[in-house]
Amino acid sequence: MNLRVVGCNYRTAAVELREKLAFDAAKQDRAVSELTTRFGCEVVLLSTCNRVELYTARPPQESPFDLEQAALYLAEIHGLTPDAVRPLLYERADAEAVVHLTRVTASLDSLVVGEGQIAGQVKAAFDFAQKAAATGALLNALFPHALRVAKRVRTETGIARGHVSVSSVAVDYVRQVFDHFGDKTILVIGAGKMARLTLKHLEALQPKRILVTNRSPAKAAEVAGMCGGVPVPWDQLDAALAETDIALSTTGAAEPIMPASRFNAAVRPKRGSGTLVVLDIAVPRDFDPAIHDGDRVCLFNIDDLTRVREQTIAQRQKHLAPAEAIIAAEAKKFLDDWNRRKSGPVIQQLRTEFDKVRAEVLAGILGKLNGKLTDADKAYIEGGFRLLQNKLLHGPIAALQQASKDGESRPLLDAVRKLFRLGAG
Amino acid sequence: MPGSLPNVTHACFALSYLLALAVELARLRWPRPGLRVSGLILGAAGLFAHSLFLALRQPTPATAYGGLLVVAWVLAVFYLYGTLHDGKRAWAVFVLPLVLGLVSLAFVAAAGQDAVPLGLPWESEHRLWGALHGIFVLCAAVGVSVGAVASVMYLIQANRLKRKKNPLGGLKLLSLERLETMNRRAVTLAFPFLTAGLLLGAVLLRQYHDFGDNWFSPKVVGTVGLWAVFLLLLYLRYVVHVTGRRLARLTLVAFALMIAVLVAAHPFAASSGGTP
Repeated sequence: MNLRVVGCNYRTAAVELREKLAFDAAKQDRAVSELTTRFGCEVVLLSTCNRVELYTARPPQESPFDLEQAALYLAEIHGLTPDAVRPLLYERADAEAVVHLTRVTASLDSLVVGEGQIAGQVKAAFDFAQKAAATGALLNALFPHALRVAKRVRTETGIARGHVSVSSVAVDYVRQVFDHFGDKTILVIGAGKMARLTLKHLEALQPKRILVTNRSPAKAAEVAGMCGGVPVPWDQLDAALAETDIALSTTGAAEPIMPASRFNAAVRPKRGSGTLVVLDIAVPRDFDPAIHDGDRVCLFNIDDLTRVREQTIAQRQKHLAPAEAIIAAEAKKFLDDWNRRKSGPVIQQLRTEFDKVRAEVLAGILGKLNGKLTDADKAYIEGGFRLLQNKLLHGPIAALQQASKDGESRPLLDAVRKLFRLGAG
Repeated sequence: MPGSLPNVTHACFALSYLLALAVELARLRWPRPGLRVSGLILGAAGLFAHSLFLALRQPTPATAYGGLLVVAWVLAVFYLYGTLHDGKRAWAVFVLPLVLGLVSLAFVAAAGQDAVPLGLPWESEHRLWGALHGIFVLCAAVGVSVGAVASVMYLIQANRLKRKKNPLGGLKLLSLERLETMNRRAVTLAFPFLTAGLLLGAVLLRQYHDFGDNWFSPKVVGTVGLWAVFLLLLYLRYVVHVTGRRLARLTLVAFALMIAVLVAAHPFAASSGGTP
């Protein structure tokens, strides 16, 4: 195995440096093509917002595409100096590279452990390289292995349990209150960036209608236009709240826009028996927390949502050890299989060669003794020769298999090929 | 049918339900697919034994013993259906304790009441009306039981929301809306059955007034009280629009009253005694 991964991630390079090393589609295409043709590598290039990594494999007898070569190439393609790139990079070789890719794919090496996007990004990078004919035997075996193990880690451990974005946690709360959304009204109050993100999640629930209100009618109309909602004048906030099921509030108001006294006087009496869920993600808060009762009004503010997010992240940390154990066991299996695959053809050649020689020698002997032997005698002699062959081959084959297991089979394979005059298989 | 089947006892299905509950509780801690299957098998075995028991012994629902066993059976069906239909929710944790409680209560009640009640010299047409009365009251009892399960879940879910617990942590429960709908449907459907059962019972009681002054027997008074609680529930829900939490609590009161009514001696069973 002659595998290397060289790259940088959120730990080794700040975002402004990662941005400089990131690959867009055109650059990725160029890089994959050049690394294959100029450097004779199998290559997969993974470029996400949190990491840029080059996975390369070369024939065992050649020198690896190491950190120095990678630094030179990355500097060249991005128009940087090698000295600026080199300190940002890390390098993993062979078995370590196998483990590294699997950890990355299983999201153990992510900024938010257990996040679900990275496996898709790894798969996309691999597919891209495959389409460009930039992968060979090793990477074609390694990447599917990593994707399979990542899936196993996600399903067999709690590493991916729960949601870690504030918007997703908000929707999780909404789902604890409501069962179906086709008859529900969502009211968006304000037009903050966070509101738009959370609204995207809420839109996916396919509510009956979306109302948007803002101090600025133009902004209300703009947000309403984006989500297919209906703008509502700011002075009708109380009336809108009275007929709303889910309120998403994110104004920039310095004071709460809905104190408990106002809510209890102007909104609560007008509401029917349904529950109102308020997602107050404004800072400072828009709604008085006193209106929350967990029955008629369920109010979740940014602190509540962030707390759940942090709990989920902490929970995921508990599953790191079992996830690492799965990855280590699977990496060992992969390496054993790979090494066996390498010595397998030589062992096969050795057996074929011995079979051929045995058949020739046996044919000569049986020819000379023609007519003097019964069928039982012939079978006995043939069996004896086969036994002798197996005994002679047992030592070399066992040594080859052991060397493969230890990952040091190359010198022995070369020696066996030379000793027994086997072709380069 | 094999000769051993008639030997099915309370212990057979009670033990199966108990084991199913234990497995489901273990599944909360260790969510393994094997445990879910084991729980289902045990629950199904309990229901099978329970059904067989009812089919073979035919305890009359007019007695506390029979009534409690039949309601427990319906709840066991409800549990198994819920678990098969929506395996993510902890149905067993809520329903099986209730089933076990009813079975235990039936066992205790069996010591004081007869399985075949009354011994009334009814003609066949009166038997039909008597049976109808029993069916109506049992349907109402099932409705209250389902409403009670939904109410317990509702109170837990509302409490979790009030305390802003992690939405994906702990017990997996249905949404407040779904639980409220379940409770509403159960109570709304049970009310006409209870009314019809009550009226039919009153007519029968009037016809057989020779059996003494039974109008004020605990069962009759309790059933009328239960009907009044139902009426109050519907009024609070549809007219006053009180909170789901209050309705859930009142449904639990109705359930407790229903158990008391089921356990109380039937007005026509004054002369009864012994164990089934």
